[in-house]
Amino acid sequence: MAFWFYRGVRKGIATTRYPKTVDPWTRGLPGPPAFHSSRLTTAVADLLTRGCPAGALAREDRELVVDLGRCTGCGRCLVLGERAVVRSGEFLLATSDRAALTKRVPIRGDREAFDGG
Amino acid sequence: MAVDERDRELDGLSAELRKRALALFGRSLHIRTVDTGSCAVCESEIRLLAAPHYDLHRLGFFFTPAPRHADLLMVTGPAVRAADNLLLKTYDATPDPKAVIAVGACALGGIYLEDSLVHGAIDRVLPVDVFVPGCPPSPLALLQGLLVAVGRLEERVRALSLDLDAGRAG
Amino acid sequence: MSHAIGALAIVAAAGWLAAAGVAGLGAMRRPGLRVGALLSGAGGAAAATCGVLLAVHGGGTTVQLGAGPVGGAVFEIEPLAAPFILLLGLVAVAIALYAPRYHEPGQGTALYLAVYNLALLASLAVLAAGNVVTFLVAWESMALFCYLLILRHHRRAGVAQGAFLFVALSEIGFLMIVLAFAILVTQTGTLDLATIAERSAHVHAGWRSAAYALALCGFGFKAGLVPFHIWLPAAHPVAPADGSAFLSGLIIKLGVYGIALFGFTLLPGGPGWWGLLTMGLGAISAVLGILYALMERDLKRFLAYSSIENIGIIVTALGAGMTFTAYGQRAIGAFLLIVALYHSINHGTYKTLLFLEAGVIEHAAGTRDLDRLGGLIRRLPRTAVICLIGTVAIAALPPLNGFVSEWMLFQGLFQGFRISSHLVGILIVIAGALIALTGGLAINAFARAYGIPFLGMPRSGPAAGASEFRQPVAGPALLAGACVFLGIGAPLVLTALDRVARSATGLDIRSELLVPKLTVIPAHTDFSGFSPTYLALFMVAITAVPILIFLAGRPLARSRRPPVWDGGILSFKPRMQYTATTHANPVRVTFEPLYRPSVHVERASDDPAGRSGPVHYRFQVTPIFDRYLYRPLTRFVRALAEFARPIQSGDVNLYLFYVFVVVLIAYAVYAT
Repeated sequence: MAFWFYRGVRKGIATTRYPKTVDPWTRGLPGPPAFHSSRLTTAVADLLTRGCPAGALAREDRELVVDLGRCTGCGRCLVLGERAVVRSGEFLLATSDRAALTKRVPIRGDREAFDGG
Repeated sequence: MAVDERDRELDGLSAELRKRALALFGRSLHIRTVDTGSCAVCESEIRLLAAPHYDLHRLGFFFTPAPRHADLLMVTGPAVRAADNLLLKTYDATPDPKAVIAVGACALGGIYLEDSLVHGAIDRVLPVDVFVPGCPPSPLALLQGLLVAVGRLEERVRALSLDLDAGRAG
Repeated sequence: MSHAIGALAIVAAAGWLAAAGVAGLGAMRRPGLRVGALLSGAGGAAAATCGVLLAVHGGGTTVQLGAGPVGGAVFEIEPLAAPFILLLGLVAVAIALYAPRYHEPGQGTALYLAVYNLALLASLAVLAAGNVVTFLVAWESMALFCYLLILRHHRRAGVAQGAFLFVALSEIGFLMIVLAFAILVTQTGTLDLATIAERSAHVHAGWRSAAYALALCGFGFKAGLVPFHIWLPAAHPVAPADGSAFLSGLIIKLGVYGIALFGFTLLPGGPGWWGLLTMGLGAISAVLGILYALMERDLKRFLAYSSIENIGIIVTALGAGMTFTAYGQRAIGAFLLIVALYHSINHGTYKTLLFLEAGVIEHAAGTRDLDRLGGLIRRLPRTAVICLIGTVAIAALPPLNGFVSEWMLFQGLFQGFRISSHLVGILIVIAGALIALTGGLAINAFARAYGIPFLGMPRSGPAAGASEFRQPVAGPALLAGACVFLGIGAPLVLTALDRVARSATGLDIRSELLVPKLTVIPAHTDFSGFSPTYLALFMVAITAVPILIFLAGRPLARSRRPPVWDGGILSFKPRMQYTATTHANPVRVTFEPLYRPSVHVERASDDPAGRSGPVHYRFQVTPIFDRYLYRPLTRFVRALAEFARPIQSGDVNLYLFYVFVVVLIAYAVYAT
């Protein structure tokens, strides 16, 4: 019994200090995507809309509507979107307003192509 | 009877009043979890909250099995219609003032769309005070949700932008 | 006064004889049934009054019929029989009120009631017998009539076997009783019981011990002591309800009467080991009785085992009384005799009540199986209240009579330290611990026996359809009133019993039993004391006060009634409730080495994927005494019979040869 007590004392406190600090290992947690709007084309946006299994992505005219509430962090959009979609690293997403979970990302990738890039 | 009218008034407390009431619970809040048909992974994460690493007791939160003792309902799952009776009975049994947290992507409308078997989202059945996305939300996200509910933390997602190229000229 | 006692006894006997005749000839029709019951009840009332007068008066009376020791009958009504005569009367009155509504008029009922009244008569004869021959004849008649009683529904399953077990064990016991009496008669040279009592002090100690041991075992068969008890759970369920009530309420007390007769009247002043042996048998019977009771699903078998438990308690009191007397503590010895007699009356009262109500439940709900009953409190409200009184009494809860007598027993046992021999003191403590264990298990058992049938939801269709219409209520209600009176009025009852004990032990402990202000003390003023009467008043007051406050405050305090939190289920189903089997599970698991159960589980398939489907679970308690004691004995007897069989070959020539040999021997012996 004493052995475990001393071992515990030596190892220190294991409890997280949240909300004072966020543990550094949480940076790797799965979560919603972030977008490079300059690389996001309409075609890619349509691909993402069809490919998201949770229905979190939808293209509305020149914007990609991301519903953070519906996102499961599966990572399919990362594969489909290639250079346009990356991990956001966000996971503290609680809110009292459901509408605040709907984010809009402008699709600017087409204009670059148009500009001859 | 006069007593029933007063009840109805309390049921219709405005969002502001509820928030202020919840602020009273900031130091000690009793949570009752309700599963309306989830895959139970959200429950695993919720269960971890009581473990030494996350330890929600140090923040003044406690789990209770009895809705009559609860201040806050933590609801998971896509509100399967077969669980309507259960969910509404639990909600009615929880005394005012109370709050509801919808936890997980299922509860917020993802994956399961509304059809003959599920409602799809908890807020189609109950008034929800705080939404916690994630699949499952990590225990830290759950803690953030609880602290937001009692007004001890500010929300972060409102100011969040998913557009990494936002500042650049486009 | 003694004339009155004798006259009342004769009136009772005549009443029962007349009832037997009327019922036997007239109970094919309802008026005949009612008149028969009326006569039986009148006889019972006479007997009860006789018992009360006998106890209060304290002196006996003699009635002689016919001539000579074998040609006639001598009745000597002694005070020791008073509590049992009172009980006989009370039981007879209760059953008389119950029988007309319980039995359907007809041929079978007519015969049954005739036999029952004759059994009452025979029991009175046993209690009043003044002479060995009278006693033995009355005893055998009582056994015979009870055998016929059990056979009422002889075509049903299990009846013949139960009756056979009853009569077989009764006969073995009778053999031992005859031997015990034979020893006493030959050693004292007289058939008269009173004279035997006077002369027994001069009998050699070995003969005395042999007589007592034989009497203990012989009467133990009738009383239902372990290991002589196996007829009780077999015979009680198959007899009609009032027959079971009579058996349990009275007949087994005749066994107790026999042990008390030998231990305190015929062979007083025996060595300590008699008392210890008696006490040991009693304590073991008590524990085993209640342990087996907890495993029973059949309500009447459960009550039968509970009777074994209570007989164990009574015999423990008797044995402890004999032990204390043998070691010089005569006051406590007399006290414990009073406890034994008091508990006999108490148990007779509430066990009869419970058996009668078991009959009502069986007729109303169609089944005796606890796992099929439920929710009867709404359907049989009066039965529920009466049963509750009986259950509270038998579970020994204050303020009723069971509590008072068990309290007194414990107070008597706790004074074992007053005995100089430490070993005996320890044995008495062990007996006390065993009785305490049975008390706790009894509360568990009776919570189960009352809660499962009466509370909750009905577990089967017939139970849901139970109705109290035309069910007998008056008989059990009378017994319930008697329970309450015996508890609250304990000081009165104990005063009477003290006179009884005075005649049996020669010691008057009135001043050491009851002090002013209606308090009972266990034979010593410096030990403990309590007042049943004041306790009852106190309990009424303490219940009334919160109720009054609630009623007074109701208009002022506004309240609303939201639905009860039920876990969110859609609706309650009967199958969600405890069953009798599961209620007793903790005891089953704890005492598994005693029960040695055989468990049999059958499921559709052992492959986890194919497991859906019903699972059959069978649990059976191993009947230890049947298997390891009686079966080997019967095998041995049959082996002997097989061995002796060649003697009866059926060959006439061989029989003629036997006759020839016997004549030769007779000639040779008488010629010299």
